[in-house]
Amino acid sequence: MLSAEKNERLTRVGPGTPMGELLRRYWWPVATHDMATRVPVKRRLLGEDLVLYRDGSGTVGLLAEQCPHRRAALWLGCTEEHGLRCGYHGWRFDADGACLEQPGEPADSTFKDRIRATAYPVRELGGLVFAYLGPTPAPQLPRYDLFVWDDAWRDIGHAELPCNFVQIMENSVDPYHVEWLHGRYGSFLRELDGRGGPLPVVTKKHVKVAFEVFEHGILKRRVLEGHTEEDEDWKVGHPLVFPHMLRVGAAGLATFQIRVPIDDENTWHVWYQTYRPDGGAPPQAAVPVYEVPLRDEKGEWLRDYVDGQDIVAWITQGRISDRSKEHLGRSDLGVILLRKLYAEQMERVARGEDPLCTYRAPHDVIDLPMERDKFGSAVAFRQLWTRESSIRYSPIRDDIFELFGDPVPAWTQ
Amino acid sequence: MDPVVATVRFCPACGAEPRFVQEYWVAADRHVVCWCAACDGTCTVVLGAIVGTEPQH
Repeated sequence: MLSAEKNERLTRVGPGTPMGELLRRYWWPVATHDMATRVPVKRRLLGEDLVLYRDGSGTVGLLAEQCPHRRAALWLGCTEEHGLRCGYHGWRFDADGACLEQPGEPADSTFKDRIRATAYPVRELGGLVFAYLGPTPAPQLPRYDLFVWDDAWRDIGHAELPCNFVQIMENSVDPYHVEWLHGRYGSFLRELDGRGGPLPVVTKKHVKVAFEVFEHGILKRRVLEGHTEEDEDWKVGHPLVFPHMLRVGAAGLATFQIRVPIDDENTWHVWYQTYRPDGGAPPQAAVPVYEVPLRDEKGEWLRDYVDGQDIVAWITQGRISDRSKEHLGRSDLGVILLRKLYAEQMERVARGEDPLCTYRAPHDVIDLPMERDKFGSAVAFRQLWTRESSIRYSPIRDDIFELFGDPVPAWTQ
Repeated sequence: MDPVVATVRFCPACGAEPRFVQEYWVAADRHVVCWCAACDGTCTVVLGAIVGTEPQH
C-alpha cells in the first residue's frame, strides 16, 4: 500500500509537479522519424500540447500548440523554407520560437521582435525524434548503444496506451510476472485456442531475483529453475534504464521498451528493436515504423502474445493505479525499489541537482549490460521473441528470420 | 490519517517526515519501507509479533 498523496506524487507528470519536474530533466522520444514531415502534426508530451514539423530546409521544430497571436493551433499551419507559418494570420516562427514575420502588421513594425513561441529543442537519433522540455542548459542526448550502432537493422513499433507510465515501468522490475502472465496465462490461451502446448522459455520458474541500483538505473538479475548463478541471467542481467526504458533481448536481438508519458493517464509506448547478428547486419535503407494494434476485429484487447498480455495487465490497473488499495509482498521488492528511486531523484531535482542518468559530457556511445543467453539460450529466446512479441507486426519480420537464420521452432507447428 | 502514513510518521533515524513510505507484507507481518530525504536514511519498520530467540547457551 502506498498513500494516496504519495501515489499522486509518483504519477503526476505535468509542469510544476515533482515527477513532472524530474522527467523534464531528460530527453524524450516525441515522434518516430516518419512523423516529422512538411505536414505539421500534433504531439503531446508530459501533459503539454505540441506541434512537430520539418521545414523546407530540413530543420525539425517543436512548438507549443497554440500560436502566441490569437491562440489558434499551429498544426493548422504551413511549413515554409524556414519555419512554420500559422494558418490563421500567417505569423511565421523558427525552431527557436523567434517570430520571423507578421504579415498583417505595418512593414516597419518591431512588434515581432517582442513575440516568441514556446519552442523546445529537438534532436534526431536512431530513427526517433527526441525533445527536451526542461530548464536550460539541456543535458546531452544520451547516445545509448542501440540508437547508434551502425551495423544493425532496426524497426520501431508504437502504440498509445490508456494508462500512467509508472505502472508500465513497474512491470520491468517484476520478474515473476513472466512465468505467470506469459507462462501460465499465455499458455492457457493457447490451450483454449487449440494452438498447442505451453510456450517455451517464459514458463521457466524463478528461483531467485535481485535488483541493484546502478549508474544506468536498476540492474535486474534472475536465476531460473535448472539454471545457476553462473548463467548470464544472474551474472550479467539487464537494466531498467532510468527513468523510462527497459532493455531486453539476447545475443543479436537487443531492444528498448520506451515508456513516454503523454500525460498523467496516457503513455506512448515505443518498442525499439535492433537486429545485429554476429558479423553485423547489411546496411538498412530506412528504419521501418509500424503501429502495434491493441484490439482485435471484435474489439477485444489482444492478449494472445507476450506484449499484448503485458499491455492488458497495465491498462486494467486503471488509468492511474490506485496504490492505496494494493497489497504488496516480498515478490514486489523490485517495484518498491523503483518507487523509492523515483522519490530520491525527485528530491535531487528539488535540491537543484542533476538526477540519475543525466549526461553533461559529450560522448560517443553508452553501452548497457544485457545477457547474451537470456533464459539460458539466445536462439530459443530469439525464436520466441520474434514471434510472440510486438515484432509479429513488423513489416520486416520475414527478413529478420532470414537475417538470423534460426531454425523454425517446433512449438509453432 | 492515511493508515500507511500513520504507521511511520517520523524517520526512525532523524525524526523528520519520511519522503517515501511503502508498505508490504511478509506472512502476517507488515513491513514498511521508509526513505527520509532529510538524512538520506532508509529503513524497514516491521509491525508484527516479537519472537525473541536467545542463542544457545
